[in-house]
Amino acid sequence: MIDCAHYRRSLLADPGDPRPELRAHRAICPECAGYAARLLQFETRLGRALNLMVEAPPQLRRPDGQRRVFARRNWLTIAASLLLGAGVAAALWLAVPRPTLADDVVSHMAAEPQAWRRTDVPVPAPELRAVLRDAQLRLSPRAGLVTYANSCLFRGHRVPHFVVQGARGPVTVMILVHESVRAAMPFAEQGYRGVILPVPGHGALAVLTRGAHDDPAVVETAAKRLLAAIIWTG
Amino acid sequence: MNDQVRGGGKRARFQALCQSLRPDLLRFALWLSRDRALAEDVVQETLLRAWRAQDSLREEASAKPWLLTILRREYARCFERKRFATVDIDELIGAEAPSLGADEDAAEIGELRLALCKLPQEYREPLLLQVLMGCSTAEIAAQMRLSKAAVLTRLYRARRQLRALCREDTSMDPAE
Repeated sequence: MIDCAHYRRSLLADPGDPRPELRAHRAICPECAGYAARLLQFETRLGRALNLMVEAPPQLRRPDGQRRVFARRNWLTIAASLLLGAGVAAALWLAVPRPTLADDVVSHMAAEPQAWRRTDVPVPAPELRAVLRDAQLRLSPRAGLVTYANSCLFRGHRVPHFVVQGARGPVTVMILVHESVRAAMPFAEQGYRGVILPVPGHGALAVLTRGAHDDPAVVETAAKRLLAAIIWTG
Repeated sequence: MNDQVRGGGKRARFQALCQSLRPDLLRFALWLSRDRALAEDVVQETLLRAWRAQDSLREEASAKPWLLTILRREYARCFERKRFATVDIDELIGAEAPSLGADEDAAEIGELRLALCKLPQEYREPLLLQVLMGCSTAEIAAQMRLSKAAVLTRLYRARRQLRALCREDTSMDPAE
């Protein structure tokens, strides 16, 4: 059994540490549970603080004459720009998501860190039903173990947000009934990897993982499996 | 013909992959350098080097650590070539002000960003890799050529210092 100092030290090093002994300590120590809750709030702010705009406002860009340019870089920069231009076209061809929708989904995830806990405690069935009811759907058992469910305000609408424990960690799902996408939209931002899938007649489905799940195929497979587990009731 | 099609498809996938990772790479470079122009240069150079060496990437799942390795090496190379006398902290933080204006905790986020800039590089970098890039402790250890224990110690110290700089209640933090 670990003590409070060990628990807090582990949490400060890695707030997402999934070790069962940490979970067990938190369950029996209200002080450490409170400490963990406050640290998670701090982590949420830290995530937001790190999420800088990557395009500088024009007035903050240096005039060309002042911009640092390294020797031998000119032609490389031009070549890189051309390659990136081609990259943008290819990315569009592959239907990379509108940044705003993917950005909004990721921002929402960062604001609910408690959803990412690795746990084997299921959400009570009535609670899950209530969350899913508004979007007129239910889940078949093959969706897996649902450990978090919330009806979240997203772009002005209440949408179901739930987490399924997968073999490689938690998988988060948002049912975006008020959005529409034309094709699967993979994205990777702020340590999250995800895909937004079109759901004809029912909007779109956003599925995200985070951490070591860097294989886009893993996320897409999880998304398709979850989509197949959804039973639409309206 | 089929080889050409396969090659074109592979290149398109690689471009899409780089494009999807570019925002986070740029954020990482920005926090590493605290200089937007330098960060943009480093990311451009990183993507160009990656493009040239794309055949050495065995699987897409390894793309992020692979690109991070190139980026960190390129940043170190730039830094060796020229020691930068100025740090554009105000520009870095100021650029975000319009997007934070509507948030009720904008002041706290601004304070946190300033604190991040003050954090020693040896602590800031593993924190960026963990929180921004989603790297595991093992991945950070591999990137920084440190033991896992050393990474955890640096992360622990990074959060302690950051919380103290932000005047968080650290009375319950464990002692060193």
